[in-house]
Amino acid sequence: MSNALSIRSTIHCDVLLIGAGGAALRCGAEILEQMPTARVIALTKVSHPQKSHTSTAQGGLAAVDPKDPMDATIFHMFDTWKGSDCTADQNVVKKICESAWEQILWLENRGMHFSRDQQGRLSKRTFGGHTRNFGEASVYRAVFEADRTGKGIMDTAWGETLKRGITFINQAIAVELLMENGRCGGCVVFQQKDGEFVRILARATVFASGGSGQVFQVTTNCRQNTGDGLALVLESGLPVMDPEAVQFHPTGIVGPGILASETLRSVGGILRNQAQEPFMEKYAPKMKELAPRDLVARAIETEIREGRGIMNPDHNIEHVWIDLRHLPQEVHEKQIPEVTSFFKRYVNLDPRTQLCPVRPSNHYHMGGIPTTMYGEVQDKNQGVIEGLYAVGECAAASFHGFNRLGTNSILELITMGKLVADRVVEVLAQTPAAASEMTSSHYREKMSGYLEHGGSESLGQIRFELRALMTEQVSVFRTKAGMTSAITRLHELNRRVTQTKISCRDLKMNQELVQRWELDNLLAVALAIAEAALAREESRGAHFRDDFPERKDEYNYHTLVSMDRFGEIELGRREVDMSVFEAGGEHHEQFSIIERKY
Amino acid sequence: MITTYQITLKIHRYDPALQKHWTQEYQVEAGRIMRFVDVLRKINDEQDPTLAWGSSCEHGQCGTCSMKINGKPLLSCELLVENAVDFFNTTTFEIEPLEVAPRIRDLIIDTEKAYERVDRVKPYVIDPAPADHDDVEENQISPEDLERYVDATRCINCFCCSSACISSHRTFLGPNAMLAAVVRVMDPREREKQQRLDVLYNENGVYRCHSSKACSFVCPKEIDVAHFIALAKEGL
Repeated sequence: MSNALSIRSTIHCDVLLIGAGGAALRCGAEILEQMPTARVIALTKVSHPQKSHTSTAQGGLAAVDPKDPMDATIFHMFDTWKGSDCTADQNVVKKICESAWEQILWLENRGMHFSRDQQGRLSKRTFGGHTRNFGEASVYRAVFEADRTGKGIMDTAWGETLKRGITFINQAIAVELLMENGRCGGCVVFQQKDGEFVRILARATVFASGGSGQVFQVTTNCRQNTGDGLALVLESGLPVMDPEAVQFHPTGIVGPGILASETLRSVGGILRNQAQEPFMEKYAPKMKELAPRDLVARAIETEIREGRGIMNPDHNIEHVWIDLRHLPQEVHEKQIPEVTSFFKRYVNLDPRTQLCPVRPSNHYHMGGIPTTMYGEVQDKNQGVIEGLYAVGECAAASFHGFNRLGTNSILELITMGKLVADRVVEVLAQTPAAASEMTSSHYREKMSGYLEHGGSESLGQIRFELRALMTEQVSVFRTKAGMTSAITRLHELNRRVTQTKISCRDLKMNQELVQRWELDNLLAVALAIAEAALAREESRGAHFRDDFPERKDEYNYHTLVSMDRFGEIELGRREVDMSVFEAGGEHHEQFSIIERKY
Repeated sequence: MITTYQITLKIHRYDPALQKHWTQEYQVEAGRIMRFVDVLRKINDEQDPTLAWGSSCEHGQCGTCSMKINGKPLLSCELLVENAVDFFNTTTFEIEPLEVAPRIRDLIIDTEKAYERVDRVKPYVIDPAPADHDDVEENQISPEDLERYVDATRCINCFCCSSACISSHRTFLGPNAMLAAVVRVMDPREREKQQRLDVLYNENGVYRCHSSKACSFVCPKEIDVAHFIALAKEGL
């Protein structure tokens, strides 16, 4: 077996993209446009780049159209800053908002099928938190491709990289980052299809490995979003930033976690508990179902915690009901037909006559690998790691701070993807042509450990317990007692996981081996989230502490968590960039520490 | 109301190390609204961790979990147990991978090989028309023009249509590849027409289609694939 774990070959390239979703491929396409002869390799865990999580994004892309007399880039910057609960980095916010429209045109010119208005120009929609004149009124800022904007980005970016000769290695995972003297030289890759390990030496390595939603039991994220990039970075002695900043949507459909849009509540849907009592009036007597997202999520979670939830036997999770039965037929047909079809398709219920099961669902990770505004990965002391970049959901530059505004996530993919590419091209032009030799140190020990362990613990059971634990104790509702006990349990699970055995011995498409590796990643990311959330004794954006419900100025910083070995937590800080405020230009006062009230 | 079903899955398996093919039977107690992906996960967790299968988004947007269940190509994330029992009128289900590419292990096929057919039609704009005027302008496409082909852009390349297509196994590039080709022929931003037409009307192109309309019948996204192929046959 140990022979099978040896490096079979070494591949040399200019740029290695770890991931092949929207951020990776926007970056790859730009590099190839600027350097047509560059050798760019993109790894993806899934069977083909089109299967990436980017493809599932629905709503739209926020971008201020310079032709729009009602809107201005500074308003988009303000909305993003306010939405982030004053924890986004203003240099990044400025850069992204300013380059947004140019990137929309990049997509449009290369064939993305945006929805159009009567003049044939790009249609625009409004979204929560998109305003003009610093919160004065709603504005139409989001361009979109029907309800499949992410797919449009994915198809376009994939097509462009294909056209320009990228090399894809599908169904492959990066299992060790090759680092020497503060420099990254590529990684060791497990190619599942052949069951072989290869070494890829690259002049630039770009993490674009996506989110970590599978840490939680109910999530809108794809099955493969197991926080691999964050775990790999932690294991290499580098920090992750703001892991406690995790966004939840109040109404995910039980059990697949698909979003049941806010529209259901705005058209008059009523949330009910086990006794079918409407409970929102207890939590928000005036606003009831129309209260802000985080408040509704906490109300639902409280009902469940206090024993008034309903257990779904098929998916083994508690939920509440959303009642849409009283709504007029016309509302069902005209205003909520898509969500109605989701309930029909995934839980076989007819919302016109039956109660529908919902509960808060994990949606997005604001935190991630800390980078500069050009995506350069930073170490604990904020020094830049040569040759290593991060972009997309796995990265935190930070554009979203502690709460992400709707439609800003896929905007970040394409704008930061381009910015990172510009930096990579610039650096490649200045440095010698060959990638440096680096040797692996620890993946083999790890993999042979997985294969040699024995015991009667079940991998599926441990994964289930981990995800349920995170949903119960470290999601929308966080307390010191809950998180302390969660951390103890995570350590326990981490011990139990060594008692699992892998039955399939052959490495070719060995899903057990990959799932075992993923479970280690989930455990590491879960612990980083819990420890950071425990240390932040305040509430900020999506991070809500029931025991510390207010935001506090003394926590106006980004959390840095390092963990060289499981459990060896080291906390640090990074200041929030407030350069727009500090520059003192027109409207700079809007970028001070302001209240997040709508 | 029945809340759980005792179902039998007969899964076509393949072990690449031994080059062995066999059918394995699993008895599963499945909740009524479990999806087939949940059932397969339950088998992994409780009975057989070695059974290999693929999925990604698990809500009908990515097309990774396509397989044949009792002969019908479909997305297993969209099939609920009680609906399957109703639709097939049985509690026994035979599960096979789509035969559109070589198998790697069990239900997992070499998707990359299947995609080679799509890559051949060049699923991008070969020669984009320059955007209008200066650099802040998008191309203008009327909603009516877009409407003619927008449905074809919804394809997620799950390959269910290719699997169902009676003619795609050998020389035909397949219905989903044809959709990708048709989109760019109809897209006003594409200036390169000759290469486009060559792909569509060459010996692997639309004239291999026998018009069985199986593609439209099985498409999980409910795209009328056959309509677009018919348009192409008529010269668009």
